[in-house]
Amino acid sequence: MASRLISINSFAQTVTKMSCLRSPYRLAASASQRNFCCLAVGIAVLLSGCGQGPKAEFSLRDATGELIPAAEKVVKKTLDEKFGTPQNLVAWQRFPVNYGGVQGSVADVAKDGVTTHFEGDLPAIHHGAPLLWLSGPRAGAKTSVDSVATFDATTKQLKWAGSAEPAPAVGDKFVIGYGSNLQTGRVVYMKNCMHCHGVAGDGAGPTAQYLNPLPRDYRLGLFKFTSTLTPEKPTRDDLTRVLQHGIPGTYMPSFRWLGDKETTAVVEYVRWLSMRGEFEKRIDDDMSNDYSAVAMEASAKKANEAYQTTIKTAKKEDKPEKPKTANQLIKTALEEFSKYEKDDLPGVINDTATLLAESWKKGEEADSLIVPTVARVADNEASRERGKRLYLSDKGKCYTCHGVQGRGDGVATEDFWKKPGSDEYYSHRGLHDTWGRPLQPRNLTLGQYRGGRRPVDVFRRIYAGIKGTPMPGFGRTALKDEEIWDIVNYVMSLQFQSAPTKSIVTDHATVSK
Amino acid sequence: MGRFWAVFFVASAVIAVGLCWVAPSYGLWFPGTLKGGFGAGVAHSSIGKKIDDLFYLVLVIVAVTYIGTHAVLGYVLWRGATIKPEEKVLFSHGSHSLEVIWTIVPAGILLYIALYQMDVWAAYRFKEFSPKKAEAVAEVTARQFEWRIRYPARGKTLMPTPQPDDVYTVNELHVPTGRPVSISLKTEDVQHAFFVPELRIKQDAVPGLTIPVWFDVDEPRQYEMVCAELCGWGHYKMKARLIAVSDEDFGAWKDKAALEQFDDGFKKPAE
Ligand SMILES: [Cu+2]
Repeated sequence: MASRLISINSFAQTVTKMSCLRSPYRLAASASQRNFCCLAVGIAVLLSGCGQGPKAEFSLRDATGELIPAAEKVVKKTLDEKFGTPQNLVAWQRFPVNYGGVQGSVADVAKDGVTTHFEGDLPAIHHGAPLLWLSGPRAGAKTSVDSVATFDATTKQLKWAGSAEPAPAVGDKFVIGYGSNLQTGRVVYMKNCMHCHGVAGDGAGPTAQYLNPLPRDYRLGLFKFTSTLTPEKPTRDDLTRVLQHGIPGTYMPSFRWLGDKETTAVVEYVRWLSMRGEFEKRIDDDMSNDYSAVAMEASAKKANEAYQTTIKTAKKEDKPEKPKTANQLIKTALEEFSKYEKDDLPGVINDTATLLAESWKKGEEADSLIVPTVARVADNEASRERGKRLYLSDKGKCYTCHGVQGRGDGVATEDFWKKPGSDEYYSHRGLHDTWGRPLQPRNLTLGQYRGGRRPVDVFRRIYAGIKGTPMPGFGRTALKDEEIWDIVNYVMSLQFQSAPTKSIVTDHATVSK
Repeated sequence: MGRFWAVFFVASAVIAVGLCWVAPSYGLWFPGTLKGGFGAGVAHSSIGKKIDDLFYLVLVIVAVTYIGTHAVLGYVLWRGATIKPEEKVLFSHGSHSLEVIWTIVPAGILLYIALYQMDVWAAYRFKEFSPKKAEAVAEVTARQFEWRIRYPARGKTLMPTPQPDDVYTVNELHVPTGRPVSISLKTEDVQHAFFVPELRIKQDAVPGLTIPVWFDVDEPRQYEMVCAELCGWGHYKMKARLIAVSDEDFGAWKDKAALEQFDDGFKKPAE
């Protein structure tokens, strides 16, 4: 299948400037005639006070910036081509994103247009709306997007701007308003999400630095609170749920007040941003072995240091060869890169797109959803007791992180941990997430449920773990569904257990004295 | 030049009064249901109607004063600008009786307003619905930047601390109509303010305090509920809905919400 890219025309730049409170200038006006002039200037300043903010840009990953210049340029070019810029989004049809629009088909072909047929109610069609052909001679290649010139709601006559040839045939399918979800999503995102999650979904918006925990960086394609199995992507419903309910204990508020259309659109936009980010990451990962300028500089430096120490001690006759400098390494890499770009890169792009498309599609499939095989075990003392034993057992090992009393103060929070895939230790004690940030195990006695307070939510957290965190999944392997329910019953009862033990209360009283 | 200022001040007063006169027909008046297309929105709570009456009383006093003083101002400016050179001018400066009049009349008006409004304030705060008469329906906790709401289970009373069978919603406050209800207003972080414009109910949420707010809603529908205290950079996001329904519907909604909240995912795998 040829990869098809649909460019979605930009409209006015949608980044709202954070602060537009500016008091009108006070002009010194002594003569009364100048009062009117002053008033006019004042109004003009008030109206223009909210100027344009800085131009929105999809920032590149740090890892992309570490590549050799030619490779960095290619990554940027590929991203621009496949995803566009915030002002001019591109809908890459390889990805399972619902880009939006209404589908119709050709009922009859006239001389300079077609008569259309729509299932259900006739949608509102405006001049200039993008018209994408899904089948027939106009579909495919770059000519597949036209724009609507006129549409007559009574006769259902549709005309488009641009070439008439090749003429569509009866039964050809098309989409009008293609990309509308991405467009609406962008507006909603820029107004409400961007200032924390960043334009590119990197979790580094202007207000992000003030938050703890930091906002999610979508670019790893990882989302914490999902209803799907451990390796799977989140479903649209999962993202919608987080959007509507917010995440207590974090700065993610509820966006219940958004309309249905806006909610759907922004969920698609976030999925798309996540795919874009993970696409970039995977391309980076592929290139960073051979084409990372930073890595080359580091290795050249290391080799040079080794060389310097050996020549001091070595005899004159067996002096080692001088190692290549970073510049030499980069120069060789640049030569090899043009070959890589020509021979390997198209395949890498294609495989990455396929992999991502498949994984996001799979997340939506029924098989990926965690459905308890048994109903919740009756929530009684016996069940809670069983849950407590499992919580403290070697099977569950919940206490190692969440603490014996569930206060999130297990021994794991006291240890130093190694960074994944290296021998280096984190500088901070305690656990870390995949984004490399310190992470507190949840204090289970607060009754604060980040991923939802329904029993099924807690069940899924234990069953599949929390993606991107050290919380592992216990379902199918370590624990049976009944056992998970026992733990759910125990954990959900912790909030209502009696107040701290007497000794703690006394200690506290002593301290406050 | 003098004539210009006479015309200018009279004209600006006429324009101001005219704009106020037509404002209701453009919907630029009190929020609430409009009566017969024209008008000021009508408040949807009994206390709201009293507050509106106060506003109207003050508005009438202010309008009469404003029109009266501008008529006099316009006359004096015009008269001064068109006076003939041979005419003798009248100086009223230093008139004790005039000064006594314009001190006593406004003081009397202000005193009247001050005494008259006390009754409405008393009704709002304690006279009409004491917390004992109003049913505590929910605990509303504001935080940056949303409203988290906790209800007692159907048939139970709201407890100060969470109970295992409590029902939760975010950014949607459900209340029954037709009888006084109260909420316990709290904040988790900074100061916020609970504001339902169409009910004319506004109350600050203050850190460390639980403040009871009581009101009644006369019509079952949705009302906008916002934060009325600039509470941070995301203040604009604290937009929520107050959903008022009849008593039966309120019970039915709570049953449904509880069912959803205690969903174990077993029977309904589609969720
Ligand atoms: Cu607020």
